[in-house]
Amino acid sequence: MADEALFLLLHNEMVSGVYKSAEQGEVENGRCITKLENMGFRVGQGLIERKNTVLLLVDLFRFTKDTARFKDELDIMKFICKDFWTTVFKKQIDNLRTNHQGIYVLQDNKFRLLTQMSAGKQYLEHASKYLAFTCGLIRGGLSNLGIKSIVTAEVSSMPACKFQVMIQKS
Amino acid sequence: MTVHNLYLFDRNGVCLHYSEWHRKKQAGISQEEEFKLMYGMLFSIRSFVSKMSPLDMKDGFVAFQTSRYKLHYYETPTGIKVVMNTDLGVGPIRDVLHHIYSALYVELVVKNPLCPLGQTVQSELFRSRLDSYIRSLPFFSARAG
Repeated sequence: MADEALFLLLHNEMVSGVYKSAEQGEVENGRCITKLENMGFRVGQGLIERKNTVLLLVDLFRFTKDTARFKDELDIMKFICKDFWTTVFKKQIDNLRTNHQGIYVLQDNKFRLLTQMSAGKQYLEHASKYLAFTCGLIRGGLSNLGIKSIVTAEVSSMPACKFQVMIQKS
Repeated sequence: MTVHNLYLFDRNGVCLHYSEWHRKKQAGISQEEEFKLMYGMLFSIRSFVSKMSPLDMKDGFVAFQTSRYKLHYYETPTGIKVVMNTDLGVGPIRDVLHHIYSALYVELVVKNPLCPLGQTVQSELFRSRLDSYIRSLPFFSARAG
């Protein structure tokens, strides 16, 4: 359990560190979110390059090489929801929805970085700061799997949150 | 059997949290003064107990009781002090106080980046979980006495 607390505390410090060196204001807030998202992106890229990831994906591509593009994509998204999420947060995504046209919504009902913050509306306005890194994490992981995307997050009631992935057609 | 109230102090004497469930008599002083009095008293008793102990100390000061209530005390190496006043029927509850520290304070305050350490805890989640926990204790009854 020690490393879970370590990642959590480190992540929290990272967020406060990024915000400390910025001034107030909408523009600054956006810049900080972008910084955190980019950090997450690099970490996600690195994290996806692991031995069992490769093995799992070899399986994936062997069966789906010739099938329609969206099926590859869906399997990769399922991989993100199951294995990738378990690696980082020790649990899976609770719900995955898609419109089969490149938009996916990943719902986590007890997002690990928010569970100790509030169980409802308190601190809601700060939640987006603590989601930016994870958005980048998803985007980075997908990027090294060959998928370009835009990832955003929204929270209406903590600790449940939704990550929206929009696949960019290349 | 019941719990009257609970104080949570940090290393510097700041009262991080106070809750009461059954308190029929107030101290007659402002809340700020009450916290200072409580903290000062604990500080003195701890030092008294360690000096005057006729045997080697194990846990140090753990509880005191009067004819009406019992005060239980638990301190961590980091200086966090949990103080609970219960009625006389309640035995040693070190594990309960430890749970308040580890499962509630550490999980919901230390790990919450929006709760600055060294200040009164504002987190609603902490307040409500602590309340549910206390109410779930076997020695807590909704009716006092």
